[in-house]
Amino acid sequence: MSIYVLSVVIAALFLLSILELVRRQKLKEQYSLLWILFSLILLIISFNVSLVERIAEWLGVKYAPAVLFLFGLLFCFAIILHLTIVITRLSSQVLRLTQEVTIMKEREDLHGQND
Amino acid sequence: MRTLVIIPAYNEEGSIASVIEDIHRNAPSVDIIVINDGSSDHTEEIATQAGARVLTMPYNVGIGGGMQTGYIYAQRMGYDIAVQMDADGQHPAAELPKLIELAGKYDLVIGSRYVEATDYRSPVLRRTGILFFSALVSLVTRQRFTDTTSGFRAAGRKVIDLYADYYPIDYPEVESIVYLKRKGCSITEVRAEMHERKAGRSSITPLKSVYYMIKVTLAVLMSALRFNRTAVSK
Repeated sequence: MSIYVLSVVIAALFLLSILELVRRQKLKEQYSLLWILFSLILLIISFNVSLVERIAEWLGVKYAPAVLFLFGLLFCFAIILHLTIVITRLSSQVLRLTQEVTIMKEREDLHGQND
Repeated sequence: MRTLVIIPAYNEEGSIASVIEDIHRNAPSVDIIVINDGSSDHTEEIATQAGARVLTMPYNVGIGGGMQTGYIYAQRMGYDIAVQMDADGQHPAAELPKLIELAGKYDLVIGSRYVEATDYRSPVLRRTGILFFSALVSLVTRQRFTDTTSGFRAAGRKVIDLYADYYPIDYPEVESIVYLKRKGCSITEVRAEMHERKAGRSSITPLKSVYYMIKVTLAVLMSALRFNRTAVSK
């Protein structure tokens, strides 16, 4: 089996796993979009290796696979940035919830004493 | 004027009782709420015995999150003035009436160690940091501040609402001034005597103070760049 067939199989499996995760509600649609985009690009490149070579030539990159690494890395940065944005939002939400619960708990104790 | 004193406390069993007694003696009419920020010692029991109401956070949320809990509480309970004080005994309650009185005229009153000479002496490095932040905040807000890191403050209703809405999570003192100026609040400093801490030790280690300087500087600059937009999306 050539490396081309193998990469097509891997890319297809990757796309299928993402879709399966969404179907099983293990991954939210909003967070899956970046991954679906990534796996589609992976699939296209696997089917059409000369595409990478053409892009490399167009960008003036001598070693074509370097283009793959570059975009792979950029994608990783994008998704990590996205994750830290999500974490920031989540941590403010958790803090607000904690504060609300703390205040509610105190009021409940107060009512408990009055009854 | 209903006044609430907010005291965030994290493992302050050694000093919290004397802080509460000090307030009872010097300002008997104020209510006291201790924000017990996930302490692992007896802060909660001791504060309750000393006659304060205690809000116990289920885990340690940090000074900013704890303080904000106090402001949310003050807002819900309809307090006119909220005063924030440290649990380590740095802030003498004898200065409370002065802060509370001025809080009727200004949106925020900051007790300052440096507005004119007090007996307080701080180590050189800390002093340098304090000077740096005072210069930075004065530059950004175009108002002279001498003690931007002071956590001894009295806030009126406008500030209670604003802080309930947004309050920085860690090392909040400096940024929270810039935030208020951006929202058009009037702020004044008043000379306040302060003590060395009675028990426990400062949470700021050398490594943390580097993080502190960088984080707070960034926060101040970003806060100044936010103009009048709300800082936190709800």
